[in-house]
Amino acid sequence: MSDRGVVFDLGYVPHEGPRLGRLGAVRAVVKDGVRRVLGLRRKARRKVIPWLLFTLAVVPAAVFVGLAFFVGNFSPEAGSPFGGHADYISLVGTLVMLFIALAGPELLIPDREEGVLAVYSSRPLTVGDYLLARSGALAIVVAGFMILPNLLMYVGFAALDEAGFASTLLGNWVDLVRVVGATAVYLFGYGAPALLVATYAKRNGPATGVYLAVILGSTGLADGLSQAADIPGGRWGSLLALLQHPEIVRAWIFGRTPDPGSIPTDAGFEPWASLAVIAAVTVLTGFLVRRRYRRLM
Amino acid sequence: MTDPIITTSGLGHAYGDIVALHHVDLAIPPGRVGLVGANGAGKTTLIKILLGVLHPTVGATSVFGADPRTDPITVRARLGYMPEGSCLPIHQTAADFIVYAAELAGIPPRAARQRASDVLTLVGLHEERFRYLGEFSTGMKQRATLAQAIVHDPRLVFLDEPTAGLDPEGRDEMLDLISRLGDFGINVLVSSHVLPDIERTCDWVVMLDGGRVLRTGPLEGLTDTGTVEIEVVDDPAPVVAALTARGAEVELDHATILFTLREGDAFILARDVLADTGAGLRRLGPKTTSLEDIFLEEESGA
Repeated sequence: MSDRGVVFDLGYVPHEGPRLGRLGAVRAVVKDGVRRVLGLRRKARRKVIPWLLFTLAVVPAAVFVGLAFFVGNFSPEAGSPFGGHADYISLVGTLVMLFIALAGPELLIPDREEGVLAVYSSRPLTVGDYLLARSGALAIVVAGFMILPNLLMYVGFAALDEAGFASTLLGNWVDLVRVVGATAVYLFGYGAPALLVATYAKRNGPATGVYLAVILGSTGLADGLSQAADIPGGRWGSLLALLQHPEIVRAWIFGRTPDPGSIPTDAGFEPWASLAVIAAVTVLTGFLVRRRYRRLM
Repeated sequence: MTDPIITTSGLGHAYGDIVALHHVDLAIPPGRVGLVGANGAGKTTLIKILLGVLHPTVGATSVFGADPRTDPITVRARLGYMPEGSCLPIHQTAADFIVYAAELAGIPPRAARQRASDVLTLVGLHEERFRYLGEFSTGMKQRATLAQAIVHDPRLVFLDEPTAGLDPEGRDEMLDLISRLGDFGINVLVSSHVLPDIERTCDWVVMLDGGRVLRTGPLEGLTDTGTVEIEVVDDPAPVVAALTARGAEVELDHATILFTLREGDAFILARDVLADTGAGLRRLGPKTTSLEDIFLEEESGA
């Protein structure tokens, strides 16, 4: 055997393994989106706000379960000292809205303003794939915000229930379905306007500001319009309350009456009207966002 | 000529009233192909049509036999693209982004990490792979942009002005990298208005001007004038006389003899004449012209 070393120049090695095609590309965009909105594999300061919000959303559920362990017999119902799933979703809803205000712009604006869309346009991916994958990333994280703590409560309280773990789990499965439904309502109700703003904004900070102004301002406007008796059709203006629609539909899903101060409800609209507004905003967003991106990718 | 990898037929594209491409007919073979033309000649528009990003106003296009307009997924699965401007997310590390670029092309995650590592080494960014792209210099950004274009082992890569903004050393290294791509079996379409870059890296050229094809063909044939240059040590007159006597068309440019021969091998004639006249040879070779000369000539004649 020679005692002299040999240097091998491997040069360029072609990829001869499998290619996952369009599905693989979509999966990559979703994964990147989740990492991006949570600040994963980014500088530390980009993690602070999303993880603070996420902690605020999840930790109370863990605390409630822990307290229930000490307090004793407990179930997640409205009359309990900790409230039920509906109350918890209401509590987390504001955090979700704030998170979406940051995440929506982060998902779309950097790709567009930093020219990364050129990379997507040379990959097996359509405009629709890209937008759905980015929306999917938002959905996954919002689900984490809302479903994870509720699941923790659902399992934790079932474990503590005197009726038995399995029977409590199986007996309350409808609660989980309601939680999933309410999560979808918050996702569309708050997420669609955020993506719409992000589609036309050039920078993240101003986009977040505009989104919050739209959500909060529209609700203020709705309140003003609904109370101005001399404005024809002012009652319909109450449907502009973008902040309140997810709350109203959540209460509907859980079989409750909307919270006092719900502008559309006070104006005489049924909860399905709020659901219709959310659906309309989502469809309009889908149309406008797709139209804009078809010119870019 | 081998089967073309790109064909266009009567291709045209207009941005409103501005015609960017006008009746472009091309059959581009495999290899390293240069797409040359001044700014606004239609190079980037042509590339975007080939990617399926823009749709032609008229005409047809085919890339590896697929139509980018109707079947962009099939076409894009085989392509890489290095755009002219920046395409790098400033808050990601080079390694993370290149892995992502590979996964976007459908490479499985583990293979994507391996390929990203290999390609970053290839473009000379291995040491910098964990730095954020926003901290990169212009030259490093260009290398990272090239890395994302080839990380998924495409069959064809479009490079749009790959040396833009680079200093001479960076430009030199980028051109070396581009030259090597052909050796790796990756077909390359380099768009540039810097003609010496094309001369150095490509073996086929497409000249565009004002959205029209000025000329297309192998670079060797384009730059070869068919004229032989001879420089002799002493008086060139006997050599000129001997060449003329044997049917060559001869021109004397100071001490350089330029001649062409309608039939037969001009170099064998030069050898014979030099031997017969006993002239001392200083230099002998084909007279070539630069791509720039051809472009200017074609442009003025168009």
